[in-house]
Amino acid sequence: MELMKLEIVTPNGVIFDADVKQVTLPGSEGEFGVLANHAAVVSVLDTGVIVIEKPEGEEVAVAINSGYVKVQEEKTLCIVDGAVALSSNDSDLARSLEAAKELLKSTESSAVNIASAVGKVEKVVGKSF
Amino acid sequence: MANLKEIKRKIASVKNTQKTTNAMKLVSSAKLKRTEELAKRSRVYAAKLTELLNEIAIKMQNASAEGIDNIYFKDAKNPKRVDLVFITADKGLCGGFNSQTIKSVNALITEYQSKGAKVRLRAVGRKGVDYYKFNHIELNDEIIGLSAAPDFKTAAAFISDVSESYVNGDTDKVIIIHNGYVNMITQELRMDQVLPIDSANLALEAVSTSELEVEPDDDDTLLNALVKRYIEYTMYYALIDSLAAEHSARMQAMDAATKNAKEMVKELNVKYNKARQEAITTELIEIISGMESMK
Repeated sequence: MELMKLEIVTPNGVIFDADVKQVTLPGSEGEFGVLANHAAVVSVLDTGVIVIEKPEGEEVAVAINSGYVKVQEEKTLCIVDGAVALSSNDSDLARSLEAAKELLKSTESSAVNIASAVGKVEKVVGKSF
Repeated sequence: MANLKEIKRKIASVKNTQKTTNAMKLVSSAKLKRTEELAKRSRVYAAKLTELLNEIAIKMQNASAEGIDNIYFKDAKNPKRVDLVFITADKGLCGGFNSQTIKSVNALITEYQSKGAKVRLRAVGRKGVDYYKFNHIELNDEIIGLSAAPDFKTAAAFISDVSESYVNGDTDKVIIIHNGYVNMITQELRMDQVLPIDSANLALEAVSTSELEVEPDDDDTLLNALVKRYIEYTMYYALIDSLAAEHSARMQAMDAATKNAKEMVKELNVKYNKARQEAITTELIEIISGMESMK
């Protein structure tokens, strides 16, 4: 399966920069998945979770508050305001989860939105808050 | 003898000053390192944001014949009202850092006023606020404490007030003036026109080969949100840049002060030794002449 480059940039620096299989993004018009060779698109991102599928099949969740995404054929660039990365083999998962929850709740997004984001995070890391 | 004591006291005082300035230099260099790191990290974000804004602007420019039809991109050739946002430090003792900024703000005020434009000032940092208050020049907005500890939320709130008044038509042009960091020994005065966004400055080559799709569908929503973010971030970045420059300026100033103090101690020491020698010689002459007279 073809890979594409994914970059997630926050005001505090680059938090993710690697080749991935697939990425699912919380667009303002609805969630959408991106594979390699996706048509170019620019979208606003809502509060939610970016789910990244790594080449080895491992999944990583990144909780974000808001931002933008620019998808190009070979590269996807996410510009977000705040982000917390979570993966199931994180040594300090509890703290990351707490931080992610905090971040999601700090936004003015609707409760439904936040709840669904929290649920998604739980699914990916296989643990509950 | 009084002279000797006085010189000794002076030496002690200068040595004390030297200690203080040296400590300040060390503090500044530590702070500079931290700020530099912060600036480096946010530079990536700023670059990507600008890139995205560029691409959308290009897309819109290509879409319509008469350029971009968006309030943020309107060209103001003869601005009637200009807002100057300038950043100074909260503290002094950093050489010409603050006075340089104030000087160029004054130059800009004269320039725009001679063209018949109305100038409003928005000050960040205590030194700038104090200067204009002392000279009884009205400040439209002022904030203290932001330049010493840049905080994105506060910076965004401050600048969004400015962009709001731009959208409302209260001002035609917004310029941010600050001292930027180049390296450890150089600062550079930067004047950035934030609004309107100069479309001539945008790189006009399309990066993406395929048609760019935008979501949500109407361009303005996304562009407006993006521009807002861009302006906020420009302000925030200017603050960080200014802080780094402030620390490097202070480091330099304190280094110079320490050197000067060292020089002064050296001079005073020579003076002290001379005075001491003089006193000894006088005393000797007194003793000898006393002995001579007893013969």
